[in-house]
Amino acid sequence: MSVNPRKRKVVTMPAPAESDSDEELANGLLEGILSHSEDESEDGMEEADDDTDASSVIEGLSDGDEEDAEESGDEAEEIRQQLRLLNTSDGSLQRKVDTENGADGELDEQDESLKPNYTVTTDAHGQVRYLYKEIDPVYESDDSDAEAANTIGDIPLSFYDEYPHIGYDINGKKIMRPAKGEALDALLDSIDIPKGWTGLTDPQTGKPLNLSDEELNVLKRLTRNEVVEDGYDPYPEMVAYFSGRLEVMPLSAAPEPKRRFIPSKHEAKRVMKIVKAIREGRIQPYKPPEEQEEDELVHYDVWADEKPRPEHSMHIPAPKLPPPGYEASYHPPPEYLPDKAEQDAWLQADEEDREREFLPKSYEALRKVPGYETFVKERFERSLDLYLAPRVRRNRLNIDPESLLPKLPDPEDLKPFPTTCAAIFRGKEGRFRCVSVDPQGIFVASGGDDGYVRIWELLTGRQVWNARLSEEEAVDAVQWRPTKDASVLAAAAGEHVYLIVPFTILSPDVEQASRDVLDAGWGYAASKPTTATNGEVPKPPGKWSRPGSRFENKGILVQIEVRSAVKVINWHRRGDYFATVSPRGQSTAVAIHTVSKHLTQLPFRRLKGIAQTAQFHPSKAIFFVATRNTIRSYDLAKQELVKILQPGAKWISSIDVHPGGDNIIVGTYDKRLLWHDLDLSNKPYKTLRFHKEAIRAVKFHQGGLPLFADASDDGSLQIFHGKVVDDLMENATIVPLKVLRGHRVKNRLGVMGLDWHPREPWCVSAGADGTLRLWN
Amino acid sequence: MAGRSKKKGTSGAAKNYITRTRAVKKLQISLPDFRRLCIFKGIYPREPRNKKKVSKGSTAATTFYYTKDIQYLLHEPLLAKFREHKSVAKKIGRALGRGEAGDAARLEKNLMPKVKLDHIIKERYPTFVDALRDLDDALSMLFLFANLPSSEHIPAKTIALCQRLTREFEHYVITSHALRKSFLSIKGIYYQATIQGQDILWLVPYRFVQRTGGDIDFRIMGTFVEFYTTLLGFVNYRLYTSVGLVYPPKFNAKSDEQGGELAAFQLEGKANATNGATNGHDDDMAINPEAQAMADRIAAMPDVDDEEEQVMTDVAADDEEDQNTEGIDKFEPTAPDADILPQPQASSSEVASLFAPFTFYLSRETPRASLEFILKSFGCKRVGWDSILGDGAFTTNESDPAITHQIIDRPPLENGAPAPREAENGSSPTAQWPHSTMPGRTYVQPQWVWDCLNQGRLLRPDLYAPGAELPPHLSPWVKPKKGEYDPNLPLEAQQPDGEAEAFEEMADEDEDAFEADDDDDDANMDAVTDREGSVEVGEGMDIASNDDEDDDEDSESDADGGADDFDGFEDSDAESDVSEGEAARLQHQRELEAEATGKKIEVKAPTKQEQNAAIRKKFDKKKRQEEEERDRQKMMLSNKKRKLLKRIEYGENKRDTESENLRRKRARLEKAKAAAERG
Repeated sequence: MSVNPRKRKVVTMPAPAESDSDEELANGLLEGILSHSEDESEDGMEEADDDTDASSVIEGLSDGDEEDAEESGDEAEEIRQQLRLLNTSDGSLQRKVDTENGADGELDEQDESLKPNYTVTTDAHGQVRYLYKEIDPVYESDDSDAEAANTIGDIPLSFYDEYPHIGYDINGKKIMRPAKGEALDALLDSIDIPKGWTGLTDPQTGKPLNLSDEELNVLKRLTRNEVVEDGYDPYPEMVAYFSGRLEVMPLSAAPEPKRRFIPSKHEAKRVMKIVKAIREGRIQPYKPPEEQEEDELVHYDVWADEKPRPEHSMHIPAPKLPPPGYEASYHPPPEYLPDKAEQDAWLQADEEDREREFLPKSYEALRKVPGYETFVKERFERSLDLYLAPRVRRNRLNIDPESLLPKLPDPEDLKPFPTTCAAIFRGKEGRFRCVSVDPQGIFVASGGDDGYVRIWELLTGRQVWNARLSEEEAVDAVQWRPTKDASVLAAAAGEHVYLIVPFTILSPDVEQASRDVLDAGWGYAASKPTTATNGEVPKPPGKWSRPGSRFENKGILVQIEVRSAVKVINWHRRGDYFATVSPRGQSTAVAIHTVSKHLTQLPFRRLKGIAQTAQFHPSKAIFFVATRNTIRSYDLAKQELVKILQPGAKWISSIDVHPGGDNIIVGTYDKRLLWHDLDLSNKPYKTLRFHKEAIRAVKFHQGGLPLFADASDDGSLQIFHGKVVDDLMENATIVPLKVLRGHRVKNRLGVMGLDWHPREPWCVSAGADGTLRLWN
Repeated sequence: MAGRSKKKGTSGAAKNYITRTRAVKKLQISLPDFRRLCIFKGIYPREPRNKKKVSKGSTAATTFYYTKDIQYLLHEPLLAKFREHKSVAKKIGRALGRGEAGDAARLEKNLMPKVKLDHIIKERYPTFVDALRDLDDALSMLFLFANLPSSEHIPAKTIALCQRLTREFEHYVITSHALRKSFLSIKGIYYQATIQGQDILWLVPYRFVQRTGGDIDFRIMGTFVEFYTTLLGFVNYRLYTSVGLVYPPKFNAKSDEQGGELAAFQLEGKANATNGATNGHDDDMAINPEAQAMADRIAAMPDVDDEEEQVMTDVAADDEEDQNTEGIDKFEPTAPDADILPQPQASSSEVASLFAPFTFYLSRETPRASLEFILKSFGCKRVGWDSILGDGAFTTNESDPAITHQIIDRPPLENGAPAPREAENGSSPTAQWPHSTMPGRTYVQPQWVWDCLNQGRLLRPDLYAPGAELPPHLSPWVKPKKGEYDPNLPLEAQQPDGEAEAFEEMADEDEDAFEADDDDDDANMDAVTDREGSVEVGEGMDIASNDDEDDDEDSESDADGGADDFDGFEDSDAESDVSEGEAARLQHQRELEAEATGKKIEVKAPTKQEQNAAIRKKFDKKKRQEEEERDRQKMMLSNKKRKLLKRIEYGENKRDTESENLRRKRARLEKAKAAAERG
């Protein structure tokens, strides 16, 4: 007991001489503690060696269980005693011998010292029974693979004497110096000497050096001067290899015969024979490389199990070459042979431009036919086509051209319409600008550049009346009042509009009726100003007055002065109103004049665009005004805009409303004639472009015939059939009928005006060449 | 929420098409290999609808392929073969560079991969009929190669193979009587066979040396030939087995060397028992040519006697004999206005026996191969020829009495030169054209055979007698279409009304001009024809007839040319009515005067020319009216339709002018001929 504290001190003190033995002792003592502590405590000092020791200890326990059951009691005590003695006596050799003698027993005793492993009970027979604790197989319990080597290398351990550790393990962790127990404990523990205990310290690990059984055995044999190897037999039985007995496979000790080392004569003979044969050519040294027939041409039925593949839309098979025609014959009919011109043309043409790759030629006999020069080339080109030419599926135009053409009515059915010039009315000078046929269909009024209004007899072409309205201004518009009871002609020259009753050519009652119509308004005009008195008097848009006696004697009864030059006059169907358009007039461009009241009104305060023409609807209270680009229709009763038509023209020249009221034709200066169906859209239903020059005038036939005509600067009139059906489902049919040529183009002006006869299919045109023409 | 904006060129057409360069890169092969692959696999470039979209905006001219096509090429076993070939070629090159020719040869022999195209045949032609449909080009190409000399580009082996395959095919056509039509063109001889309902047309060149110079790439042709030989091999196999023959037929190299051509092959039936049923002449030759010849001669004897009559009565007799056969009856419409339904043609058995009863002898100047092929496929079993034409003839003895027809392409000698002496020295009597003729034998020119088979009946041989001027040889494939010129019909039948007169008038003018300077040289003649060619019918006359009209009308007709305007359909009518009325009035006036004076008015018979003019004028007027009406209708068309119509009319007009041109030429020729006969 007392030793131990001292030894502890020694440990701390640098006393190497003593420490050796001390350490050994301490190691021996500590062994048991370590093996104990292993299970419970997991401090950093656990080592693989210890561990294996512990397991062996346990084994030892289990082994010794049966054998030493009864004697273990006091015997253990005894041995312990002895060992104690040994320890104290400090004789290592003695102890060694001791271990040799009773290795087993010692083990058992040592195990017993590891007491806490089991508890002792009595079994049913009253005998001692050891109940061992369950071994806890935790992960750490198996540490067999861990290496526990001090890694400090080949340096003396004494270098670490000052430190609590003695080196580092493989993981770089400190290997702590094994603790040294109390002196009493050391003394006690020194009794059970571990197996293979030598009392030495392994310089590598700093732990006590234990020797295994084998090592001990080796040591023992060395000491005895015996062969170290186990089971070595120094005197084995002798085997007689070479004996008198004859074996099945005898071993011979005879030397190799000479013939084994010299060439065989027999062989040489045979080789010579072959050589001779080869030389003589009797033997072919190698088979000549025979032309082995390639059997790649093995044929079989590829289509034995043919399955049609569905037609793939993307696959276009190569088109076949067309079969040859008559001209390819070696002896074609003579008409297929090219004449000289064709031949020259063919020869001169570039190869790619030729329609046919050969020149037809006739040979009178087959034997005279030469080879075709470009045969290989053509074949080659065909193969190029097959793999190089992009294939495109083109739809053949398999359309009967007749089916494209519209079914037009037979021209015979469309008769009557004007076809020829029946009469020519020649004026004095200047061009005619306008023309109008009176509602009776007897007279034609015309206005021209010379300022004259002339009235002609339609059938004879005789001038029956004329009057010069203005010296310097041309007559731009003439228009008969569209009622048959009275015969009133409105004519415009410059800023003046005149209402004329040419009484010299009228019957008295018609004359009277006409005068009545015009005179009715005088009184109204007198009463009118009363309304205008209050406030400032605006300048009336139109001043109605009598033109003076010179004119009145002629029959020109009323003169209306408006603010700017009037270009178009159009009557309302009842003849009470007429509209005038003066394109320069801006806000006063469109004026509506009431004949019965001698009143002029300006329906539009402001007008978008420059007004070109204006017209009344033939049956409704609707008023059409055409500006340069658009046509607007206004409801006069409700005083609102009804519709805006957009013909898409650049400059509208004239419009006319179909007597039915639902269709409008528009003539434009950009050479187009447009047909508008008011029910359909505000875009044209048909656009007709048959003129080479501007269209000046368009007109529907008002007397029930489905005809319309236009007049153009190219000097021609075109007559169309334009049938409008009441059925809403059916569109209007427009059929071109006739081009009437005759007017000469003068100063790039052709036909200026146009009017239809009220009943007959006759039409009158005013030409810039100073003629009127009647067409029927 | 807006979807992810798409990157350009990742979908649609840009993805569906691939340029050739990209395709080659994708497949990692060289361009020549790519070309070969495309030829083998039948992959061809495509024309994308919108090139700009496909080529990502660039407008450079490029070739596009379907991406799918190229992708599908990626799995092609041939591609591996090509690569293998490339690596072996490298090795051989290396060996040659080291001067180890033996190594190179060994490498070439052992390692060079053999390209087999079987799977491609099956893939490209899933059914046999598909293969037949594509046989046109194959046959034409192989027949050409069979007739080419071997050169560095074309190994002799290839040519031998082509010859073998084409002759095998010809043998099939002969045994199955599949040949339908043939045509002697200036390019070569066209044949058409119908096999399993497919019309196969191929062209065989005349046997002359072909011009192979210029920019002809024989590697491309060789690739095609490689594919086509494989194809035709399999097709032949299938065809032979379908008629119970063994494929390949036995090939007699010796006979081939002696120019046996078709005779070098010996067909065998599947079962040995039916051996005799097949290619008769070969078997006969094998058994005993002499004896067979005798037997045939005896069999043919009666034919020789009454052959002429038989030819004449052939068709009629056929009709009577076929009263109650199983064949198809011919339906004749009883009324002319009935529709005519297409009817199947004469059965193959009928066609097959066209030349069956005859024995032919081919003179040495005739094309033996084609004649032999044609005659045999139309049932003729006995075709003999001059021994210099090659092996395999039924007889080489021209004076063989069994011969019923001799095909001659030489004119007879005019001075009747005596037969050469040595002929008399021979033991057997000789009948050597052109020195003497055999009685009872028909001498015809080769065209007779072609015309007979195209018309399906025997024609009068005297038209084709040696030295005679042959009738024109017509292509059997041209179907007469309405409005097109047909040389078979008389000219009058196909001329529209009034044209004949117009031609005549014009021809008269020509003639006058011609007569005026008849003795001039050809140049003048050319000038005449030149002018004639440029004159448009009905144009020049137009103005002349309108001459007497007032200037208003004149200007009107001048303005006719305008595209946009239209003319009244009435006025020319009215004008001519007026003039006619005027004429009638004048006539009446004259009559009245004559009556008054008591003279008898002599009715002036109008001359032919006047008559013609009148008729033509009438038809001209009618034509013009129709044109006007048409113009009027066209005016009402929408722009799109008008353009379409223009396109259609372009083609039609071209056809019309072409046929009109032909008609005019024919009219002139006929007139010249008539004049020649008269004078």
